Amino acid sequence: MRSRTLGDRTLDAFTYLVLIAMGLITLLPFANVVSKSVSEEWAIVSGKVGLYPIGFQLDTLRYVVTNSQFLHSLWISALVTVIGTLASLVVTAMTAYPLSKRELPGMGVIIVLFIFTMMFNGGIIPNYLLVRELNLIDHLGALVLPALVSVFNMLVIKSYFESLPASLEESAKLEGARNFTILFRIVLPLSGPVLATIGLFYAVYYWNDYFNPMIYINSTSLKPLQLYLQDIVMNADTSSLNRSAEELMNVPAEGVRAATVIASTIPILLVYPFLQKYFIKGVLIGSVKG
Amino acid sequence: MKMSTKGLQLTAVAALLAVTAACGSNGGNDAAGTASQGAAASPAASGSADSAGEKPTLRRLTVWQDQDPNTYPVAQMLEEKTGYKVKYDTLPQDKAADKLNLLMASGEAYDTVHYAADMALYSDYAQKGALTDLTPLIEQYGPNIKKAISQQSMDALKIDGKLYALPSMLTYKVGSSILIRTDWLDKVDMDMPTTTEELKAVLKAFKEQDPGGHGDQDVPLTMNGDNAFLDSIVGAFGMPNTWNDVDGELVPRLLDPSYKDYVGYMADLYKEGLIDNQFVVNKGATTKEKFSSGQAGAIVIHWADIPSIDEALKKNEPNATFAYVGALKGPGGEAGFSGNAGFDRLTFIPKASKHPEDAIKWIDATLEAETFKELAVGEEGVHYTVENGAFMPILPIFNDERNLANNYMSGTDEANYPLYWQARVHKNPVMFEAFDQLNNQQPDEVKISNPLGLAPYMPNYAKYNQQLETMVADYTIKLIAGADSLSGLDAFQAKYKAAGEEASAKEINDWYATAAK
Repeated sequence: MRSRTLGDRTLDAFTYLVLIAMGLITLLPFANVVSKSVSEEWAIVSGKVGLYPIGFQLDTLRYVVTNSQFLHSLWISALVTVIGTLASLVVTAMTAYPLSKRELPGMGVIIVLFIFTMMFNGGIIPNYLLVRELNLIDHLGALVLPALVSVFNMLVIKSYFESLPASLEESAKLEGARNFTILFRIVLPLSGPVLATIGLFYAVYYWNDYFNPMIYINSTSLKPLQLYLQDIVMNADTSSLNRSAEELMNVPAEGVRAATVIASTIPILLVYPFLQKYFIKGVLIGSVKG
Repeated sequence: MKMSTKGLQLTAVAALLAVTAACGSNGGNDAAGTASQGAAASPAASGSADSAGEKPTLRRLTVWQDQDPNTYPVAQMLEEKTGYKVKYDTLPQDKAADKLNLLMASGEAYDTVHYAADMALYSDYAQKGALTDLTPLIEQYGPNIKKAISQQSMDALKIDGKLYALPSMLTYKVGSSILIRTDWLDKVDMDMPTTTEELKAVLKAFKEQDPGGHGDQDVPLTMNGDNAFLDSIVGAFGMPNTWNDVDGELVPRLLDPSYKDYVGYMADLYKEGLIDNQFVVNKGATTKEKFSSGQAGAIVIHWADIPSIDEALKKNEPNATFAYVGALKGPGGEAGFSGNAGFDRLTFIPKASKHPEDAIKWIDATLEAETFKELAVGEEGVHYTVENGAFMPILPIFNDERNLANNYMSGTDEANYPLYWQARVHKNPVMFEAFDQLNNQQPDEVKISNPLGLAPYMPNYAKYNQQLETMVADYTIKLIAGADSLSGLDAFQAKYKAAGEEASAKEINDWYATAAK
């Protein structure tokens, strides 16, 4: 190892400082919204709230998280996210597994067909008509089924499967395991990192999805959180002079909007630390003895 | 079906309307087809079914609200009074019209739909055959409806002699004007301005004498870049509405002979530093920040926005007082506010409804005088008290249980609703004062009704209107800020005409000629 000169270390320190500063800058808007969510309304309206709260209070947050519609939407979002992510992972992994076997007949054609759907799709109107014909309008299934398999995610899992040592499966076969046993007992347990990553992709997708619910969901009782959030936040963007008095009088206060944003961001943020360990830990260690 | 869809957004959804509407109208499509057949068959067949069977659960589509419409207290009260269970769905806050188009086009079987009084949308639906003709239903089942809603209102909504919607009436004429700091006026020892020249003098005094005490940070008049035409000032130049009557023809502001004068006046204010020099990038929220932090002497604002501003301003400057500037007189002696015209909301029964008769019976029950009163203002002693003939809300229960009451109305008891409605304005005394000042203290002749308030659907106008508005707004802002000069006006007007104004104007004036009679 080359010894590090003072110049090297200064450069490193400088680099770190710049990167940390840039990292912190990305937090500024977030800090602003957090501050607004716990500040008093008058301070927000008069533009006094910047990075720290003015007139600290928790009533707004309490109002938001006890609002029945917020709670209900949160529940719907959680349901869709959990079920959607699990279903997507299972189906995507089961699609990827056979495609990771080079001996699969006609594999080239199948892969091309999959990739074709990545580049081209029918578009919104055929999708809508399809969902309608499936009687999934105003049904949570319309939020999960159309997004069940993302080809990109499938390809990532597929290439991960391909990187697993073939000898593992061969030894399992020697012990008499069938394909399903191999997939569920050997391949999937070894695929923690990729499943965690792809699971996170899916979870974030389902959590953040507002477009499908906006089109397909009509009932108030089935609206997920993002739709609720969009309704609350969009209030702010329309020019007040074009709106009726009734609407203006009932516009949610700025603080309520900020608090709703915060309250609906936190659940998905909480998922990251739990998945973190999968990103760090190398699962393959020890599985193949040299 | 992932990220790529987001870019397409609702333009595509709107396009979907065209496709599915086609499916629906030829009746071949299952959902829309069967639903409309059901509706068509019902007048004859379902009369017996209705009286024999129990009351069906009705489905109502209403505008967005931040409380669950199914658990809001008014919903329960209406269920008790009418005996009908109603399942309420709401439109989104953003792009509500697109979603409504989608639902109507795909034949969702709503029994009542409650939406803003968008006459263009309404007449479009009616002409496409998407709505149920209410006249025979009201004749048979609607004694309270006939009592509550005036013939005049119903006539205004008739399309080819048929009535497809019930109106919620507008309850006030004037929404916004210039709100000015009266304590600043006192400090500079000037009176409330009544003409555009006086306004300019006042703003000049605000600038020179700095009554706000923040020096350069203070702005005499704050405005935002989305709003090029300031209420009261634009009226002083004879253009209170987007289209105004010039010698019997409706003319948009850009082509109005007074346009130059208005822009000249505003550009002058800007040049002399009397308008917020950052107004181009200001948003509505920025202007409110400036006014409520005590850094602006005047702002254009809707009276319904006043409570939040008032609270903040009192915190920041306890001695602050403000009042609305009335309708300013311009150099030509003109004055006026844009007056609301038409209706506030409409309620209609889609063709796809499975229970049009029950829907009308339900509406009729909600319009029964006592029920409607309880719907609008609640119970006396619980939600409101009556003082000197005025309905005063009891807070906070009125806020919790009646704030959103208007979303549950399908038409209004026109003789009494304005009185009931003022309970809402009385929720905040400062707001009431401002409302009263604009709507009751201003003479009627300055409340100039928007001539397009009752205009029906006009395809070109509907198509180009928004684009034209944006063009004019951007151009006007540029002129005011001095980034463009009036020498190019002719060229721009030509461009504007070609961009759809000519086609729109023809439609509008063809209609206006018949409507003016």
